[in-house]
Amino acid sequence: MVERSRIVRRRSPIKRALLYITVILVCIVFVFPIFWMIATAFKTRAQAFSWPPLFIWEPTTRNFIDIFLKRQTEIEAITGWELELATGAEIFFINSMIVTFGSIVLALLIGTLAAYSFSRYRPKGTDTLMFFILSTRMLPGIVVAIPIYFFYRNIGLYSTHIGLILLYTMFNLPFAVWMMKSFFDEIPRDIEQAAMVDGTKPIKLFYKIALPQVIVGLAATVGFLIINVWNEFLFALLLTERSVRTVPVAIASTRGEVGINWGLIAAIETLYVIPAIVLIFLLQKYLLRGMTFGTVRGV
Amino acid sequence: MVRVSLIDLTKRYGRITAVDGLNLDIPNMSLTVLLGPTGAGKTTTIKCISGVISPDKGDILFDGESVINIPPWERNVAQFFQTYALYPHLSVYDNIAYPLRERGVSKDEIDKRVKEVARKLRINHLLDRKDPTTLSGGEMQRVALARTLVREPKVILLDEPISNLDAKLREEMIYEFKRLCRELCQTIIYATPDHLEALAVGERIAVIKDGKLHQYGTPEEIYNHPVSKFVATFVGSPTINMIEGELKMKDGSLYLVEGGVTINISNIAGDWINKLSGDKIILAIRPEDILILKERQEGSLEAKALIAEPLGHETVVTCKLGENELKILVRGFFSVKYGEHVWIKINMSKAHIIDPKTEVVLI
Repeated sequence: MVERSRIVRRRSPIKRALLYITVILVCIVFVFPIFWMIATAFKTRAQAFSWPPLFIWEPTTRNFIDIFLKRQTEIEAITGWELELATGAEIFFINSMIVTFGSIVLALLIGTLAAYSFSRYRPKGTDTLMFFILSTRMLPGIVVAIPIYFFYRNIGLYSTHIGLILLYTMFNLPFAVWMMKSFFDEIPRDIEQAAMVDGTKPIKLFYKIALPQVIVGLAATVGFLIINVWNEFLFALLLTERSVRTVPVAIASTRGEVGINWGLIAAIETLYVIPAIVLIFLLQKYLLRGMTFGTVRGV
Repeated sequence: MVRVSLIDLTKRYGRITAVDGLNLDIPNMSLTVLLGPTGAGKTTTIKCISGVISPDKGDILFDGESVINIPPWERNVAQFFQTYALYPHLSVYDNIAYPLRERGVSKDEIDKRVKEVARKLRINHLLDRKDPTTLSGGEMQRVALARTLVREPKVILLDEPISNLDAKLREEMIYEFKRLCRELCQTIIYATPDHLEALAVGERIAVIKDGKLHQYGTPEEIYNHPVSKFVATFVGSPTINMIEGELKMKDGSLYLVEGGVTINISNIAGDWINKLSGDKIILAIRPEDILILKERQEGSLEAKALIAEPLGHETVVTCKLGENELKILVRGFFSVKYGEHVWIKINMSKAHIIDPKTEVVLI
């Protein structure tokens, strides 16, 4: 870090100005949509549609109140789907959380154990199996969407939490196995061998010696998988009815006779983004360390 | 505390044979050194004994009983890993205490033993360190050594345990290993690529190359009676001198002729002549078995002195005899001028004859 700041300081003022302008422009491109989403969340229906766009307005918390306090607000134009959305939003949030949490826990549990076995025991045909696992992700989801729909209908998994959890687990497993295997591959075998000689049995070896060494990789994997599931749309749309509907689908199924209430949608989106941002901040330390993994280690 | 026998031990990695039919009988309460260059199969052999690697063929016996089917966590051996293999997520204290905890030793006992071994290795000031990977190489080595020596197993396996320590600590550790072996009656198997360390540490030395055993014997046997060209060159510093030439008979005397040099080797003539595969031989002489003279004497050979490297208690003088460069050890200080004429006298009773084709030492 010291090195880097010294390099920046040595640059000429013009170069520095250019650098900052570029950084600011890039930031605008990335940050503006998020800013606009949050801004819209605090606008009334009319304000959201006004032209030219309003950059200065009196913010309203009506949209958030609509989400949380529903019926108590004055009913202005809340009808049909909007009413449904506004009066049941927390159901969608809860669904998203159940599905994400359940599938992540399952995928990590199975994926980490599988990755460890592949990395350490190398059963016959490991390379073939690893390729096979990856190949399940090579088909675009849409190709299998219809068969899965009928399949789920017939075995009673349609529109159930467990159905979505199982499906997402299946989608996430290849990533979990591949990512975790590469992290396990990176830790030297001698450490586990030393633990064996010191009296550690295989299962304990896994959770007491191997797992703590890949905790950084585990965090990076969790972040990656959560983003996968939290944003999933196609199968959630296809396989759920209202009771199990997740937030992305709920937002998208907003169409009505009286137009779209962008303010309300933006408010829900804003709330939906918060957990993702919190997560990134929480995992930031690990994600950064994950990138330097393997370069800072001694021996 | 046990006698370890390796029977026809073989381990392959793909096409490479790391250990090739190794037979070795290591007596109990002995300090045996596996000596060999990098890639000789020392580490693989040690890992086979501890059980973390299963051999492809052969057997390992502890006191005559096969342990091949006993997993490493039940074999009760301690191993020092060349890579140290410290647990990066545990503190230094927890690293050393780990093998004791896994064996259910009481807390007070663990504390006592950890502190004792840490004091011996002078790492008590490091015990509170959280992340052992931030230690220096020598410190890590001592922590790993402490973890190995903290308990009393059946066999202690040490894979290059003192390569990164400073000279003083190395001397102390060599003493410590020998003391452990004698006082606590431990069986210690010790791998090193350093022949001087092997001579200093080992009660018995097994010289290994390409997974094969070349020679197994006491340091004296290895040094004075090497069985192969490899053992002769690998052990000893400066390296043993070798003069390759033709064997000639003239007037009832036996000579080694090479270039313009003729060396009379009549007084070591013997049965070995019949075992030769060709008419060429290698005469091998240790640097300390050559005498350097400033004046001609009977039976001496004329040579040219090149350089002298004084080491304090002795000086290594490099001379040119014909086309061969010879290293000669002289006691104390000895100075030569570059190109100066000197005379050398070979102590034939200590010389060896090697067959250049089979590389077997004949005498």
